[in-house]
Amino acid sequence: MIQLTEVQKYFYRGESREVHALKNINLTIEEGEFSLLNGPSGCGKTTLLNAIGALDSVDSGKIYLDEKEITTLSEDERTLLRLNEMGFVFQSYNLVPVLSVEENIGFIMKLRGFDDNEIKNRVKEVAELLEIQDKLQSLPNTLSGGQQQRVAVARAVASKPKIILADEPTANLDSKNSIALMNMMRRLNEEEGVTILFASHDEYVIESVRRIIRLNDGSIVED
Amino acid sequence: MFSLALKNILFYRGRSITTFVLTFFSALMFIAYVALMDGSHGSMLKNALKVYTGAIEIYKKGYREEGGNDYLIEDVASVEKVLSKIEGISDYTSRYETYGLLSSKDRSTAAMVAGIEPQKEREMSELYSTLVSGSYLSKDSGNCLYAGVDLVKKLQVKLGDEVSFVGSASDNSFAADLFKLCGTFKTGAFEFDSTAAFLSRSYFDELMYAKNKASYINIRLDDLDRVDAVNEEIIKQLDPQYESVTWKVLMKSMVQAMQVDSIFGYISIALFFVVIFFVIMIFGFINVSSRVREFGTLRSIGLTRGKIRLLLFNEIFILSSAAILFATPIGAYIAYYFSLHPFVMEGISETYKDYGVVSDEIPLAFDLFTISWNVAVIYLLNFLSIIYPIRYINSFKPVEASHHV
Ligand SMILES: Nc1ncnc2c1ncn2[C@@H]1O[C@H](COP(=O)(O)OP(=O)(O)OP(=O)(O)O)[C@@H](O)[C@H]1O
Ligand SMILES: [Mg+2]
Repeated sequence: MIQLTEVQKYFYRGESREVHALKNINLTIEEGEFSLLNGPSGCGKTTLLNAIGALDSVDSGKIYLDEKEITTLSEDERTLLRLNEMGFVFQSYNLVPVLSVEENIGFIMKLRGFDDNEIKNRVKEVAELLEIQDKLQSLPNTLSGGQQQRVAVARAVASKPKIILADEPTANLDSKNSIALMNMMRRLNEEEGVTILFASHDEYVIESVRRIIRLNDGSIVED
Repeated sequence: MFSLALKNILFYRGRSITTFVLTFFSALMFIAYVALMDGSHGSMLKNALKVYTGAIEIYKKGYREEGGNDYLIEDVASVEKVLSKIEGISDYTSRYETYGLLSSKDRSTAAMVAGIEPQKEREMSELYSTLVSGSYLSKDSGNCLYAGVDLVKKLQVKLGDEVSFVGSASDNSFAADLFKLCGTFKTGAFEFDSTAAFLSRSYFDELMYAKNKASYINIRLDDLDRVDAVNEEIIKQLDPQYESVTWKVLMKSMVQAMQVDSIFGYISIALFFVVIFFVIMIFGFINVSSRVREFGTLRSIGLTRGKIRLLLFNEIFILSSAAILFATPIGAYIAYYFSLHPFVMEGISETYKDYGVVSDEIPLAFDLFTISWNVAVIYLLNFLSIIYPIRYINSFKPVEASHHV
């Protein structure tokens, strides 16, 4: 269970101009949810995902992950929390440029200490689901945006984390790939009980999810 | 982490190659330079020791400070008996040195006149091999005087001429005699060549009542590197009225001169290293700052700052190891080759003649221990150079780093 109470987040740009990116956010996400953060560009979706994912600090308020206060954790503790409990799909992919697609997908599993055989099989499995199995040996910078996006998704889901936070995972995909991705996500959610939170304004995502949280200008306007 | 480091090295070739090349050349230069410095000092020392000073010398306590007849070794035989049983000593000989007035028909000068054992001395010092004219001494050479070329010049004598001697015998009685100049030597050390003259002990002892007495006993070793160990053993076994001193004490001024020389050598190499250090660091820094986003990614997906540090240390470790792996055998080979075939630098013996340097040859020192610490210094330098880039990269928060352009 993820619980946010009165979370505020500001970005400072220079001395005078500050952006109030999250305004008094109160939100509870139960285990096993399949939900969406929706809203116009710049409304704070990514910022909120980053806060939930312990990737970025907040200025006030509390965020609990299964009773654990994550806003007070040290940098290293948050890093390990991300590694062991979360799967991120970054809006900007964030692939490791020197590693092949196969190594990128297996990277988190490797860091978490899965054995090499298991990693290989799992990588193959998700790569096939996302139709990138024939790109496994390529480097990320030789792939199209959509292909890189699918690699980013594959990396996030491969290690079967407890929570997946997916920021615009379908932004660069065609309808066929988007549907395949959403089907895979739903299966993870239903069969493995993975909590999944999307940030997106894509209709395929909107149609698939069970809960939509609407943000506008840093506030939750509809749930 | 190691394989990721390796992939980064292959991916960022420019930085890898510069770091490799810089490390390679600095390791090579360092090894060769230190070998040259040690080698030239080693050869200076060896030459100086060969001329006249022993690796170890035994004195009666007080002689080195006061000199004179009150502090002679009174029973040479008993000391030599002790020495004969100590391992590591290849030879020893006793010398009876005194100061007196040498005069020719027209000139006179103070000189150090010494009674030596000609046969043994021939093995132990360079007195015989620096012969310039006439002949060296022998057991039965009687009143034959073997004098430095510059002393001979002062006295304005030639071979066969008579030289009178006035001095005081070991019992402080008056001693005077007529010697005959039989041979001259030139070691290159001006001090020595202008004041020293030698006679066979068998003759000189009679004149000076110096049988079985000596100013000191000169000792040569099988292995100069073991000088301290052997000296300790001698001290343990020797009657405490005597002292045993190594060349390091005897040749303090030369050792100090070499230390000063080494210090200047190390200062110049340190300056060189400062430059290398900054160049390696700057390349490391440029590389790392072009990878801020990548590190942001790694942090975002779960690499702690410690892991990032490890990753960057691994990169520099692989790079410097590769460079050192190439440079060390080459550097070692250069040191080894020139230790066997010294190169010749005209004028070296001229510059250092006061220290008894008689050769223009400078061999390099080939010493695995020295090479190992050279390598360690290069490693250290590389590791230090990556510390600042690591601090820089770890000062970013993951999100900041991911957005960095
Ligand atoms: N690192 C940052 N520094 C300064 N301002 C930021 C930063 N990141 C986000 N912001 C600002 O915070 C607000 C929310 O941004 P956020 O990225 O969360 O929007 P978003 O809903 O994800 O938009 P999009 O749909 O375009 O991805 C925006 O006004 C944005 O300009
Ligand atoms: Mg966004």
